[in-house]
This record gives sequence, structure tokens and C-alpha cells, in this order.
Amino acid sequence: MSSPIITIRHLSKQYGDKTVLNDISLDIYPGQIIGYIGPNGAGKSTTVKILTGIIQEYTGEVDVFGKSLRDNILEVKSKVGYIPELAELYDLLTPREYLSFVGKLYHLQDDIIEERSRKMLDSFSLLNNIDQRMDSLSKGMKQKVLITAGLLHNPTIVIMDEPLSGLDANAVILVKELLQALKQEGKTIFYCSHMMDVVEKVSDRIVLINNGRIIADGTIEELRQSSADSLEQIFSRLTSGGDQVQKADDLAAAMNDRG
Amino acid sequence: MNKLFLNMVMLPSALWRSLGADIGQLRAILNVRLILDDRKPVGIGRGQKQKKDRKYTSLFNIFISLVMGGVYMLPLIIVTDRVFSLTIFFTLLLAVMTLMLITDFSNVLFDARDKYILFPRPVNDRTLVLARMLHVFIYLFRIVLPMSLPGWVALGYFDGWRSALLFPFILILMVCFALFLVNSIYLLVLNLVKAEKFKDIINYFQIVASAVFFASVYLLPRLFDNEHPHDFDILNYQWVRFIPSYWLAVCWSWIGFPTSLAGTAYLSVLAVILPLVCVYVLVRWLAPAFSQKISGIDAVDVGEHRIVGIEKRKTGNRFYQKIAYTFNRSDDARAGFMIAWLQTSRSRSFRMRVFPTFAYIPVYFFYMLTQNHTSFAYAFNHLSYQPRHLLLLYMSSFVMISALNYLTMSDQYKAAWIYYATPVEKPGRIMIGAFKAIWVKYFLPFFIILSVFILYVWGVSAIMDIILAMVNVTLFVSCMARISYRHLPFSIAEQMKQGGNRIVKSFIVMIIPSALGLGHYMALRFHLLWLEFIFLALSSILLWLVWDSYSNTSWENMMKGEAE
Repeated sequence: MSSPIITIRHLSKQYGDKTVLNDISLDIYPGQIIGYIGPNGAGKSTTVKILTGIIQEYTGEVDVFGKSLRDNILEVKSKVGYIPELAELYDLLTPREYLSFVGKLYHLQDDIIEERSRKMLDSFSLLNNIDQRMDSLSKGMKQKVLITAGLLHNPTIVIMDEPLSGLDANAVILVKELLQALKQEGKTIFYCSHMMDVVEKVSDRIVLINNGRIIADGTIEELRQSSADSLEQIFSRLTSGGDQVQKADDLAAAMNDRG
Repeated sequence: MNKLFLNMVMLPSALWRSLGADIGQLRAILNVRLILDDRKPVGIGRGQKQKKDRKYTSLFNIFISLVMGGVYMLPLIIVTDRVFSLTIFFTLLLAVMTLMLITDFSNVLFDARDKYILFPRPVNDRTLVLARMLHVFIYLFRIVLPMSLPGWVALGYFDGWRSALLFPFILILMVCFALFLVNSIYLLVLNLVKAEKFKDIINYFQIVASAVFFASVYLLPRLFDNEHPHDFDILNYQWVRFIPSYWLAVCWSWIGFPTSLAGTAYLSVLAVILPLVCVYVLVRWLAPAFSQKISGIDAVDVGEHRIVGIEKRKTGNRFYQKIAYTFNRSDDARAGFMIAWLQTSRSRSFRMRVFPTFAYIPVYFFYMLTQNHTSFAYAFNHLSYQPRHLLLLYMSSFVMISALNYLTMSDQYKAAWIYYATPVEKPGRIMIGAFKAIWVKYFLPFFIILSVFILYVWGVSAIMDIILAMVNVTLFVSCMARISYRHLPFSIAEQMKQGGNRIVKSFIVMIIPSALGLGHYMALRFHLLWLEFIFLALSSILLWLVWDSYSNTSWENMMKGEAE
């Protein structure tokens, strides 16, 4: 196997007294789709923010392209594409203006920005909205613009944090196909999501974290104990002991002041 | 402190209940809003603010308010007629407060951010409207209190305890009066026009109203003969009886002070009744269907294809892009320039806060003309004998100051993650790009118009003054940007807490450019053209240094600046 494109060694992150990431070590190889999953508050988004350079204070070592992330932050950022969850963007702008703004931050030529934006928005059936202010676009449409913005500079590594939120069924199929196409081009994809069925289908390898630690790491086949288990069942067993039925009963009871 | 204010506004619970509000809900909503105001949203890559620093800022704000209050107190000492002195006092306070209400606090009423939290709950519109009103009331009162403190002390000292005791009640009436009146107008408009037109209409209203208020603060005293304030005769000013601040002042007739105009004691009833009538009309008649209208305002654009005007053209670079390239060499600066250019034209809150400052200068010019009690034409013709054009030129910095103030703020501050995830070497590049955008877009055209006018009145010889003033003003605002606004554009959440204080601060800041122009004035006064050239050279060098330092702001510098 070739050398890893991302190497994480003993990565820890604390907010005050709270340890969010606790001694994470991980190798990611080029051309892989990594499904990064975990319960709410497990530390997924923190990992993503460190990998994208948004958070720069952490202990441990992260190497990307064989170079230290800390010392080569700009070089890494220029080769990484980030697609965040929740459509956080300046929605007074039009998609064209926003993409032009983001493209400039990646030092792209204007004609390249224009050409790529048009083509990509066209694939998302959003070309007609290219000059429409984004405050009038739906959440899913904004998410499509964010996906375009994250891929505009042709990144080598794509980091996605719940990229399907708000997308309709057709767009979900499109993005799933896009993941495969990006993989064919040799891109590495770091995919964070709660949608277990999607993760199960698209990922070459699944990393499960809980309380800031990696508790499972392998292909879906390796994670399965018996052949019947779905990723959802594995997830539940590893992160909560699998007593969701009892918890649901307790919830319903609490509402009625029973038990 | 919050608890105290909360209890204070909940004192007339019976009144609120009789108006149709749910007291329990009202208290809960207000409580949460006050808690939220105390918690600064954590931005991207930004730590918690140090408590100590915040304490100093609020102390500084109180100090400034006290200084302003000291100025307002002066009529109470100089003018012997108590009721009339109070009329002036209340007029000043009322003007400042209304200005704050119109520019800084009006968004609270139409803020739709909590609609997903509150609108699906069984909360009636009267409770919603009242909660928003009382929320603003608390902030207004917080600001007005230190501002009125010197006046309060003066009243106690000169008139004794009865006057001092009456004062806080009238002060509360005054705050209620301004608050409920302004908001009644808003709600009335909301009820009359289509939801989609509403924000634009309010926007224009706000611009016009703040210009009018600025004008009235400057021009109103001109109506009186202020060269001999002691032999002033109020009987020449019968119209004073129609001014609300006179009604408030006349309340002092209750404790034995003579009314300035005979037989006007009955007007004090208006001071008490009007706020009540306003709040009644507001809550009973105008508030219902409030939430429906508010959600209407936001729903407007959805689904509609609102194509942005000029951007419709398909080919070639757009106008703003061309200018972005002309004025900036790095891509980061161009990106900063472009986003500042586009966002500032689309953001309502930006327009609303910055556009009124354009009006201040013509108003001030008008003030200059009427200053000497001569005829208009005479004053105009003799204008060129004095170096007054310097003031006009230096006042143009107001526009930049207020634009800078709002350049870093946005409701969508969370969208600023993009700066952190992209390969931006120095955030200073983006900042300088954004700075240039507002300079080119707002300052330059305005300055050119001003220059043409000045060349017309003062002649071609003023050209050196124009150039020197332009460099000096740019230098001054660049220094301000370098010192206080080292933030990425549209990356900071706007907070209710700072509302109002900004206006107070900007009054103080306006003094500084005049000081900067002093050297210029001296050179002009003594006809030392060579000195102007030296100043020009010095300012240009300084400007270059400041810009260089600003555009080299590193991520570390920026984070450090934000922690302060």
C-alpha cells in the first residue's frame, strides 16, 4: 500500500476541562473514502475542524501529504476542500458572487471560477439560480452551492461534514455518485455523517469514535460480527449498549409522569 | 442588574395583563433575552472574552454617557426659568434617544430570528410585541440613566428633594413616550403596507428621521437668540407648547414651579396620558397579527426568482470586479473588496446605519449658514472669506467611521468559517481589501461631490486643501481601522448590548478629525502653502506605513486583537 496521505498521531483537544479528542491515531490512504461516524458530541466536528485548519490549537501531530499540518497550514488548506454541515454562507450574495469570492480566496483565475461554477451548478440543476440571491434559495439549494464551493479548487482531499443535510432524494443520489467519481480520480474523501445507510454504502473504511476515542476501525465486513448486522446496529451496540428500546419507553413514560 | 431591571418592567403587571399579555410568558421571554444578551456568541477560532476587559469597556461607556449628561445639564444651570430649562434638557435627551431607537434598536421589533422558537408556541401577539418593547426599554433606560444623572444631581442641588424625587418618574415617562411612539409608527406602517414593501419603507423612514433629528439638535438652538440667554423671553416662543418635552417639563408645576407660558399646566396631563395611550393603541390594536406579518416579511423572497440587477449580464467581468482588480494586487484583498462591496449594498442594516451619516454634512453646512443671523444669501456669499470648507472636508470622515463600524458585523457571522478553511496567509489582506471597498464606494464619490462644491464656492485655490484633507481623513480612518477594527469583514455577531453605546461613542469620535485638521487650519490661516506641502508629504508617508501594517495583520495579531 502507498504511504498515507493523512497521518494523525496522538491527537488530543481540550476545551477547558473537557477532553473532546483523546489520543486519536489514524492513517488515511489516498483514494479512500473514510466514513467517520460517532454519536452526538463524540468529537467528529472537532476532528474535521482540525483537519481543515479552522482549529489550530491541539496536541499531537497531524501530517498531511507527508508534511506537518501545523507548519504547512496554507499549503494543506489549498489542497483540501471542506463542505460543512448547515448552510452557513453569506446569503445576501448570489451563487455566482459567492463562488467568485471563495475562488479568489483559493487564488483561482476568474475565467476558471466562472467556467467551473457554471458547469457544477448546471449539474446540480442550479444554473438558473446563479444570479439569484441566496436568501431566497432553499436550504438544500444552499447546500449545493456549498458543495460547489468546496470542490471549486479541485482539492486532493475532500472533507465533508454531513453534506447531505437538506438535500432531496435526487441530489442525494447525485452526491453518492459524485463520491464514487471523486474516488475514481484518486481523491481522498473524509466523510462525516449520521446517515448510517449512506456511510455503509459509500465508505471503503469506517472509523467509529466515541467520547473522543476511536472504538472501531475497519471495513464494514470487518466490523460485522455476524453477517446480519447493519452499520446502524453495530453503531448502537458499540456506543450505547443497544438498549434503545428501553430508552424510548422511558421517554414516553416521562411525558406522562409514569414510572 | 438584569434581575433588577426585569422586576422594574414587570412592576405594572396588572397593566400588561389588562392589555392582553400573558405575564408568565412575558417574564420568561424577557428573562431569556437578557441572559442571551450577556453571552457573547463564540465566533470561529475565537476564545471567550476576558471579563476584566469587558468591565473596562462598560465603565468607559458609562463615563462617556456621564460626560454627555454633563453637557445636557448646562441649561438647567444657565437658564433661570426651571420649566423652560427642563424643556431644553428633555428635548436633548429625547432627540438622542429617538435617534438610538430609530437606528440601533428598531431591528429588535422586526427581528425574526426567534420565530422558530416562539411562533410555534402558544404565545399571543400582544405578549410578543410587549416583550420586544420592554426589552428595548431596559436598554434605553440603561443608557439614559447615566446620561441624565448629572441633570438629576443638579436638580436636587438647586431645587431640593421634591424636584429630585419627581425627576425619575418623568424620565420613565419620557422613555416610554419615545419608545411607544416610534414603535406605534412602525406597527402602523406594518399594518398598512404589504409585507414585502415594509422593510424598504422603514429603511427610508429611518434614514430621513435620523437626518431630521440630527438637524434638529443642531438647528433648534438657532431659533433662539443665544447671544443673550439671560434676557430671553419665552413669550416669543408660543409654539413651545406643542413640543412633547415641554409637556414633560410642565409636570414641575405640580411641585410649585411656575409654567413658562401662563395657563399651560394642564399640558402636564398629556405627558402622563400619552405614553399610556400609545401603549394601549400599540398592544390592543396594532399588535394582533404581528407574528403573521413578521413571518410575512421573511417569507417574501422564498420561491421567487429575484435576479440581482446588474449581475444579469452574462459575459465579462462585472463592474465591481474591475474596480477590485484596479485597487488591489493580491487575490485575498480582491476577495475582501468584492465581499465588502456586495454585502454593503444588500444588507439593510448596513444601509440603515451608514446612509444617515451622509445627511449630517449638508445639515451641518446649513447650520453654518444660519449661524450668524444674517440672510441666507448674504451668508452664502460671504462663505468664501472664511476657511470653513476645511470643516466640511474633515467631516466627510463620519461616513467612513460609521461604515467601518458596521463592516465587521453581520447576522451571518458564522459564515466567516470560509476565511479560516481557505489558504489565507494574512487576514490583513482581506481587511485592507474591504477597507478599500468602502473607501471607493462610499467615501470617494461623496468626497468628489463635496470637492466640486467647495471648488465652486472657494475657488481653485482650495485644491491643495482638498488633497491634504483627503489624505488626512484617509489617514485618520486607517489608523482607526488599524487600532479598533482588526476583524475580518462580516465576522462578528451584532449584540444588543452594544446598541446605543455606538452612537454615544461616535459622537465622541467625531471630535478627533477636527483636531487632526487643526494643523491644516493653522497653515491655511497664516497662508503657509509650503507647510501644507510638508503636511501632505508627512501624512502620505504615515498613511503608507499604516496601510502596510494593517494589510500585514497576521492571524496571531487578529486573535490577540479580538481577545482585547
